[in-house]
Amino acid sequence: MNMKQLFPRGHVMGFIFSMVLTAVALGVVVYELSFKTGMIVLLVTAFMQAGVQLVMFMHAGESEDKKAIYTNVYYALFIALVTIFGTLLTMIWGYQ
Amino acid sequence: MDYFDRFAVPHSSPMIVGSQIAIAVTVLAILVGVTYFKKWGYLWREWFTTVDHKRIGIMYILAALLMLFRGGADALLMRAQTAIPDNGLLDGQHYNEIFTTHGVVMILFMAMPFIIGLMNIVTPLQIGARDVAFPRLNAVSFWLFFWGAMLFNISFVVGGSPDAGWTAYFPLASVEFSESVGMNYYAIAIQIAGIGTLMTGINFIVTILKMRAPGMTLMKMPMFTWSILITNLIIVFAFPVLTVALALMTMDRMFGTNFFTMANGGSDMLWANLFWIWGHPEVYIVILPAFGIYSEIISTFARRNLYGYKSMVVSMVAISVLSFVVWAHHFFTMGHGAMVNGIFSVTTMAIAVPTGIKIFNWLFTLWRGKIEFTVPMLYSLAFIPIFTIGGVTGVMLAMASADYQYHNTMFLVAHFHYVLIPGTVFSVLAGFTYWWPKIFNFQLSERIGKWAFWFIVVGFNVTFFPMFITGLDGQARRMYTYSESTGYGPLNMLSFVGALGLLLGFAFLVYNIYWSTRYAPRNVSSDPWNARSLEWATHSPVPEYNFAIVPEVDSSQAFWDSKNNGPALFKGKYKEIHMPNNSGVPFILGIIFFVWGFAMVFSMWIFAIIATLGIFACMAHRSFEKDHGHHITVEEIEETEKKLRGANA
Amino acid sequence: MKIDNSLPLEYSTEENRLKILGFWIFLGAEIALFATLFATYFTLVDRTANGPVGGDIFEVTPVLIETILLLTSSFTIGLGINAMRHGSKNAMMIFFIITLALGAGFLGTEIYEFKHYVHIGAGLQVSAFTSILLTLLGTHGAHVTLGLFWGTFIVLQVKKRGLTPETTNKAFIYSLYWHFLDVVWIFIFSFVYLKGMM
Ligand code: HEM
Ligand SMILES: [Cu+2]
Repeated sequence: MNMKQLFPRGHVMGFIFSMVLTAVALGVVVYELSFKTGMIVLLVTAFMQAGVQLVMFMHAGESEDKKAIYTNVYYALFIALVTIFGTLLTMIWGYQ
Repeated sequence: MDYFDRFAVPHSSPMIVGSQIAIAVTVLAILVGVTYFKKWGYLWREWFTTVDHKRIGIMYILAALLMLFRGGADALLMRAQTAIPDNGLLDGQHYNEIFTTHGVVMILFMAMPFIIGLMNIVTPLQIGARDVAFPRLNAVSFWLFFWGAMLFNISFVVGGSPDAGWTAYFPLASVEFSESVGMNYYAIAIQIAGIGTLMTGINFIVTILKMRAPGMTLMKMPMFTWSILITNLIIVFAFPVLTVALALMTMDRMFGTNFFTMANGGSDMLWANLFWIWGHPEVYIVILPAFGIYSEIISTFARRNLYGYKSMVVSMVAISVLSFVVWAHHFFTMGHGAMVNGIFSVTTMAIAVPTGIKIFNWLFTLWRGKIEFTVPMLYSLAFIPIFTIGGVTGVMLAMASADYQYHNTMFLVAHFHYVLIPGTVFSVLAGFTYWWPKIFNFQLSERIGKWAFWFIVVGFNVTFFPMFITGLDGQARRMYTYSESTGYGPLNMLSFVGALGLLLGFAFLVYNIYWSTRYAPRNVSSDPWNARSLEWATHSPVPEYNFAIVPEVDSSQAFWDSKNNGPALFKGKYKEIHMPNNSGVPFILGIIFFVWGFAMVFSMWIFAIIATLGIFACMAHRSFEKDHGHHITVEEIEETEKKLRGANA
Repeated sequence: MKIDNSLPLEYSTEENRLKILGFWIFLGAEIALFATLFATYFTLVDRTANGPVGGDIFEVTPVLIETILLLTSSFTIGLGINAMRHGSKNAMMIFFIITLALGAGFLGTEIYEFKHYVHIGAGLQVSAFTSILLTLLGTHGAHVTLGLFWGTFIVLQVKKRGLTPETTNKAFIYSLYWHFLDVVWIFIFSFVYLKGMM
């Protein structure tokens, strides 16, 4: 195998991208952003990172079961958000 | 000797001593009996090591029936204790232990495994598959459930029962308030069984998504299979929440962490929150398969296609989403603001809509049907009105402000029994009777079955209806006694009488199994009910490989169509069939988990570490093992088929 | 066994395809599991009692080292799978071994970090916050530990048995697991550490 085959473009780009995203996220601490801006930056970078892993590295869409896999991931995401924000709602925001 | 003191029951009584002796004697008798009749080899080869979904299903159901009687005994004791005011049959502590184990056993070790048992037996047959996607994993699931259930059950005689309710609310469930090892049993035993259930969930989703017979698109699946798909989806996403909650409980009780404690920042309410994030989906896990079973039975015995197939599917999918967004209705009274209670009130009422749609679909299926009143059908018909009462009272409870009146009263107890018993219990009894001939090639007696049915239905209503009234009158749940001046006495006595009726009903059920096994005519046809879906298209009893030729289908009632001049199901010739090998590892893994659990319960760390290593050893063994299964040759298939065709002549 | 040669080896049999889908669904369950831990973390994060708050104990350097190690390992295992698909057993094994080494480095750093927390009075039993912090990190760490063993087994099997439908299937599923742990770490990095230090 030659270098090009060993280090395919997609993977290398994905890696660089994830490093950049990490650096951006780190900026939240370095530049002492406000809580709100900081959280927005973190949310964006974290979900983008997850997307990079899912699509570029985990090949989520490559097989005949693409639909089942994506349904599964979206459903899981829905449950995760409901669990986290629902808990925040009942335990903190909505608590007298 | 001090070392062994920990195994003593802290709050013993003659009843517990009696049980200790009875259990020891029974276990000994079983061991001696099996040895004497030289059945170990048979048990090991045919059952302990099996990976056949039908046998695993049978074992699930057997265990579930056993647990039904364990949970039933608890229930009877509770009703006996409260039958008259100021009764002294049980003291407060024992009453606490009994309602706790009753709840856990009934939901986790009776309802769930009964349903999982039926789904093991039926689902692969209904979709025309030869087994589940991961047969070995299926065996692991079963043995984890089984040994988890056994671990939970020995709490009664070794070290003390859990006593903080099946909901295990903190701070009651903390070491300060529940000092014995009882709640450790709760945390560990449910954890072990829960891991098994999670694996079942994954297994059946893949089975249903990937192993359907050619031509069976998702919208051509029988309704039971649909209900199982949705149920397992809920299992996969709800059980991890329980896993975490139980792990945190374990750490609080054993390692001094502060998740749910009253000191150092812990939050006792967080437990309730996590418990019900799993808990409400859990009630739908035990009710959706029931809906599936009823759909099959009603359309079979009304001799009509299921009305509104699409709306049935859509409403189940809606339930799978909604069941995850209603959990806070279980703690409306814990002090949330109006916003939270309002939101969860509305979502809760919304879930009644898809449920109601299904009720109407069954009614329309029955409408103008030529109804045949068999035992399974009787249960299904009784289910509709009784469950509706359960649902309507549920909507009453769902109104947050009204719930301040109902919460924690017998009214609530009546509500959830009015959904769980006609829902889950009637349905598994109906399914059990319905699919019995598929498994054993003879039918249960209809006559004795009807006796059982009437005692159970009438007994149930006599037991639970009075609770609506005393509940509205203010009788609290989980109270071991009440004074005469409250006036609850007569209705509680009535309730006790009803419970005795239920007991008789279940006695008839057992007698029916005994009687039919001995006397019922053999060799009924492979389709005794004139049914509609694929499981009835193969022989009874079902051969190891299920179908000699994989069926091809083009509707959700493929077998019915093929009987009525539709296209043939089985085309082509016999081909060699690939089947998985048996394995003893799942059984051994189950036992190691039992030992691990026992060691954890009593904080015996050295044993726990050794068992943990054993678990990893099993996993490593699995990783390195080469197992390609075995093949059944065409000649063997021909021989089996010839024999079975004779049987189902 | 029917082998479909138009697909990569790890997908080539029906059994393999079942296993891959099954593992994806398992990952769905893992998402629910970590979501519950995060929900607990966010509920308890300000309940510090007499113990420290996150800002007092988090340090950028070790966390950044851990992040870089794990992200890189996710990259190298991706390259390993790529090499596997090109049929290059040696390249695949080298990438897998690098991945495992990076994983071990991550774990080592995390153990150091844990020791440090206990040392400065942020042990498991100090407050609700420290309990859930160490439990969340520990659960991820336990997954990594398990992954190191599992990965080692796979390297050994590939070495002995070569690239077969079975070994490639295992390696591919393992790579899904490893990438997933990386995803979880990203959320820990962002919403435990960075948010805590903000
Ligand atoms: C029509 C749909 C339903 C509605 C609107 C509903 C509503 C409710 C509400 C609001 C409560 C809490 C009451 C309180 O604690 O004061 C409750 C409790 C309960 N429900 Fe339902 N429910 C429904 C269906 C079901 C089903 C189908 C099942 C089980 C198969 C079930 C099982 C339970 C159980 C076990 C409890 C009691 C838990 C406990 O605190 O021990 N419910 N229900
Ligand atoms: Cu509920």
